[in-house]
Amino acid sequence: MNTVPAIAAVLSVGMITYASRAGLIVFLADRPLPTNISRALRYVGPAVLSALTVNLLAGGQGIGGVEFVEVAALGVSIVVAAVARNLLAALAAGMVTLWLLLWLL
Amino acid sequence: MPAADPPVDPLTETSAPAGTSAAALRAAIPLFIPAIPFGLVVGVAITDSAMPTAVAWSTNVVIFAGAAQLATVSLAATATWLTLVATAAVINLRHVMYSAALSPRFNDQPRWFRWVGPFLLIDQLFALTSVRTSLSGPAWRRFYLTAGIFYFLSWTTVVSIGLVVGSSIPVEWRLGVAPAIMFAGLVVLGLANRPGIVAAVVGAGVCLLALDVPNNGGILVGAISGVTAGYLADVAEVRRAEARRGTADER
Repeated sequence: MNTVPAIAAVLSVGMITYASRAGLIVFLADRPLPTNISRALRYVGPAVLSALTVNLLAGGQGIGGVEFVEVAALGVSIVVAAVARNLLAALAAGMVTLWLLLWLL
Repeated sequence: MPAADPPVDPLTETSAPAGTSAAALRAAIPLFIPAIPFGLVVGVAITDSAMPTAVAWSTNVVIFAGAAQLATVSLAATATWLTLVATAAVINLRHVMYSAALSPRFNDQPRWFRWVGPFLLIDQLFALTSVRTSLSGPAWRRFYLTAGIFYFLSWTTVVSIGLVVGSSIPVEWRLGVAPAIMFAGLVVLGLANRPGIVAAVVGAGVCLLALDVPNNGGILVGAISGVTAGYLADVAEVRRAEARRGTADER
């Protein structure tokens, strides 16, 4: 990505981020969101972050970009995250698994 | 960055008078610790990014939102401008919730603060300030700004450290996998109920099936499917609970 499109992308994401944080505070001071919308918004986090995980794992090469060692590392980190409730432990467990498998296989 | 458990430590409330900058810092620091590895990963991702390093680093100042920054710098290699921006917009939807929840607290605040305050509104700051119902007016503003500026400065520092360290780490270490692991960990730590699990599984599954959609469109297809599935599961769960209550009443 060249400098100009990169700057354009960063500025656009910056504006969107600010707009989503400021919109309701600046413009809609005390009108609450409809309950249906706030209920749906609760599931934005898990849905988009898990889709992003899969996409990053494939690295833009379709299903062929998903490697066994990476999936194994991810699996271990998910289990550790669920049990230990700790992001750092999950990251460490995932990376160590990856390095072990790369060294063994 | 997961909005962790109730962040208020009763000790920090008693050891410094509520509403002072010292109280704000004491409450803010513990919540920052889980964000440190995340910041380091963002720093490493900046060195890996297809964007020029300075532009990727500027996301700290221009965007200041960990997940959106990580997506922006790591998708730059494969995504078009449009998918990148659309993905960030979806990731940021939770900020709309924060904005909605905090807007009543801003009613009695000056106009400049209504415009400046939201820039700092990361998960941790929301967790801290939304529960401080005992503070209002200038005291709440001082608390908000102290904690927010602390997060802004520490975040930028940690990401910069990750950037310096990351560029000296050999490629064979495969740190490029770290962002995926981080996002998965955030999902797991954020899961609070069954509809949340449905949303995550459907989001990942549909994205996997849609990997061949051009321009990383699979992220959006997966995200929209996941949100819809989570919402429907939520509705179904409420219905089931109501039905159960109904049969209990009949007895």
